[in-house]
Amino acid sequence: MSTAELTLDEGLARLAAIAGQAHARIRGETVEVAPADARETAAILRFAQENGLAVTPAGGGTKTCWGNPVEAQIRLSLERMSAVREHSWQDMTCTVEAGCPWAAMQTQLARHGQTVALDPLWPERATVGGVVAANDSGALRLKYGALRDLIIGMTIVLADGTVAKTGGKVVKNVAGYDLHKLMTGSFGTLGVITEVNFRLHPAEERTQTWTANAGDAAEFAEPLRALLDSQMVPSAVQLRVGKDGCALDVRVAGRGEAIEDCARRLSKIFSEIGMVPSSEAVWGARQELYDAANATILKASMLPAEVCPVSAELRHWATTEGAGVQCVAYPFGLMTLALQAAPPAAFLVQLRARLRPTGGSVVVLAASDEMRAGLDVWGCDADALGLMREIKRRFDPNRILNPGRFVGNI
Amino acid sequence: MLHPTIIAELREAVGVDGLITGASQLQTYECDGLTNFRVLPGAVVLPRTTEQVQAVVRICARHKLPFVSRGAGTGLSGGALPAEGGVVISLARMNRILEVDYANHYVIVEPGVINAHVSQHVAAQGYFYAPDPSSQSVCTIGGNVAENSGGAHCLKYGFTVTHTLALEVVLPSGELVHLGSAAPDSPGYDLAGVFVGSEGTLGVATKITLRIVKRPEVVQTLLAAFDTPQAAGQTVSDIIAAGMLPSALEIMDTLAIEAAEAAVHAHYPKCGGLLLVELDGQASEVEALMRDVRALAEQNGAWEIRLAQSEQERALIWKGRKAAFAAVGRISPNYIVQDGVIPRTALPQVLAEIERMAAVVELRVANVFHAGDGNLHPLVLYNRTIEGQEEIALDLSYRILHLCVDSGGSITGEHGVGKEKQQALGYMFAEPDLATMQLVRCAFDPESLANPDKVFPRPRLCADRPGPYTPHPLETAGVAEIF
Repeated sequence: MSTAELTLDEGLARLAAIAGQAHARIRGETVEVAPADARETAAILRFAQENGLAVTPAGGGTKTCWGNPVEAQIRLSLERMSAVREHSWQDMTCTVEAGCPWAAMQTQLARHGQTVALDPLWPERATVGGVVAANDSGALRLKYGALRDLIIGMTIVLADGTVAKTGGKVVKNVAGYDLHKLMTGSFGTLGVITEVNFRLHPAEERTQTWTANAGDAAEFAEPLRALLDSQMVPSAVQLRVGKDGCALDVRVAGRGEAIEDCARRLSKIFSEIGMVPSSEAVWGARQELYDAANATILKASMLPAEVCPVSAELRHWATTEGAGVQCVAYPFGLMTLALQAAPPAAFLVQLRARLRPTGGSVVVLAASDEMRAGLDVWGCDADALGLMREIKRRFDPNRILNPGRFVGNI
Repeated sequence: MLHPTIIAELREAVGVDGLITGASQLQTYECDGLTNFRVLPGAVVLPRTTEQVQAVVRICARHKLPFVSRGAGTGLSGGALPAEGGVVISLARMNRILEVDYANHYVIVEPGVINAHVSQHVAAQGYFYAPDPSSQSVCTIGGNVAENSGGAHCLKYGFTVTHTLALEVVLPSGELVHLGSAAPDSPGYDLAGVFVGSEGTLGVATKITLRIVKRPEVVQTLLAAFDTPQAAGQTVSDIIAAGMLPSALEIMDTLAIEAAEAAVHAHYPKCGGLLLVELDGQASEVEALMRDVRALAEQNGAWEIRLAQSEQERALIWKGRKAAFAAVGRISPNYIVQDGVIPRTALPQVLAEIERMAAVVELRVANVFHAGDGNLHPLVLYNRTIEGQEEIALDLSYRILHLCVDSGGSITGEHGVGKEKQQALGYMFAEPDLATMQLVRCAFDPESLANPDKVFPRPRLCADRPGPYTPHPLETAGVAEIF
């Protein structure tokens, strides 16, 4: 924290005065501070704003590398704000502090057989605030919708110290703007999320997973179309593509008779390829891509009907180039790609060019520093970028919150 | 009256047949479904294309003229009330369904397309558009986007925002932007998510990409009669606690049943609390769950349980429910419609309190609610010809909204804030919350030209006036039921 006016030690003293000696310390060139509540968070942000210091809000630190790197003088840890404040199980809602690890929240909710119906990465370490700020989601999104549709309210602290509530604790509510939708996926650039209200679902008690295998993803195109066009409601579907072949997993939740019924329907839809019962472990596939060391990870978004053809094209490319590529794709149009070696620059350009005409995109989430240096990790070509910049300017005029991390260097 | 140069510019933008300036014709646009607020606009334009909307908005921006965009005008909170001397942009002529993509489960429509037409358009392929506000036979998608409309089935399927994938929007500056995408998670802020439900204050949507959903295999509708709405409410809680997610859970009390019976003869049992449960999905699952629902209803003292045996019977049950609002006109000369939300568990206390509050001022309140998500529609009945009663009724309807907020709920679940509940928004949110919302408003619309003086509280001096219900012209004409 070597700004002209303030030394690192002075910064530490000021922040310790807000959050307490035990909750502020120096780490490298950064002061790490852990406020106890929204009020202390506000005081820290006001201090940062007055002194022109950049702040990066931090949860479990699992997705710090997503987006552009940020040089912050203050690392604002939410670790002390980690409680499930309220679980109104009869109303199927909960209020959780942003620093609560995702899995810890789910354990608490499970006591009443309920869940926030989302399967993010690193659930043991990732926090509620981090998952929301990064808008992470997994296979369950097919049935339960995107993260933003599970959030009914929020408490946020703005750069100027304003503590604002948005939404509420009821599922149906159209009073005022839905600022929590703006905050979801905003990567900590508009405010610090301190509390989130979720709508809950009954936890899936009985589930069954089936898997079909094929040499090429293109073989899945027709049965997958038929599955999504059917009246079945699977809770998750994923396509796994690797050098050894492709697999399609389907999970159904429900009562015994409903599961048996689904088994019959699936065997009909997949009669040519064949589908067999498999293990729940297959749903860890996306996480496994991230856990592989030194992989370049891309998040590609596409129209649902593109998932099989794009997977097939990628596998073909990998075979021709001798590149190691693995994908896990969900049929609503999200694909995670892991490349063993950094891909040639042209690869990203071509993939973006392939997906953009139909509204798709490719975001680079994990990559070596060399690779990052030469490219735009977000690849945002929206004509609303000017409007996004204006929103950032209104919320954080002095650019103290995660400056530069988001699209267009917001 | 607008300056002749502005009139000439607007005529240039939309053509002679796209401009209305005659006083008597302007009157058609002076209100929406909240008919006791009326303002004559300076002009009404009826653009046919995005370019024409842009041209009109640019004229407004240049002259700092306020504009209000409008669909079918069925809104119940005064959201489409014209701005004094401003321009009304009617999207009625932009009513084409532009694209249907079954492989990717979406349609692209213009804002003037009627809600029910979307479902009709894709019905042959077994799809439907899920949000179903009760005015769906006349209300438009553009209006639904503005209000984030719900409906009886949003308990399971979600609201307009859940089903809006992408938007083409003319900003208040006249600039055209595209928000969201049919492919998920476009990089950047979720501006489509913020735009939906912004009640016309952030710009004009000119193209909307909507998700369509496969029609469920079976739909079963059950009626259960209880002595009290509380017993019906407990059954709702038990159904939810059992881990079920019905597609609809509706409750009507005695007065509402009486009114609905008088209007459409739905053959409802005469009871203190009527519960309507609809389950949909795979046949095997629905049948098993319906058995459980029946058992839970019996446990809570249901003395008559009826499962609709045919599509006609099901339609009649829904007709009665959907006609309940308008039907109240048969048992009371005047009434006020409210739209509060409470946590489901607060239902017994809130109902008792509403009853108590009504008894104190000697008025009747009929109750119709989307019980699954705690959305109440109390209907305050009164007689305008009795001196002072209207004021008492208005005051009661407000205090009911405050009661909802005090119980941990909201002042509106689906009707929007609009003109009617501006002050109530200030009861629900504190100043810092409202100021933060204003940051978004200012980023989109720094001059406050898009639907000005709506949603946000005005200076504290102005008292809110919720609307005594007077029939919408469409309702009087028998074209629509309004809820």
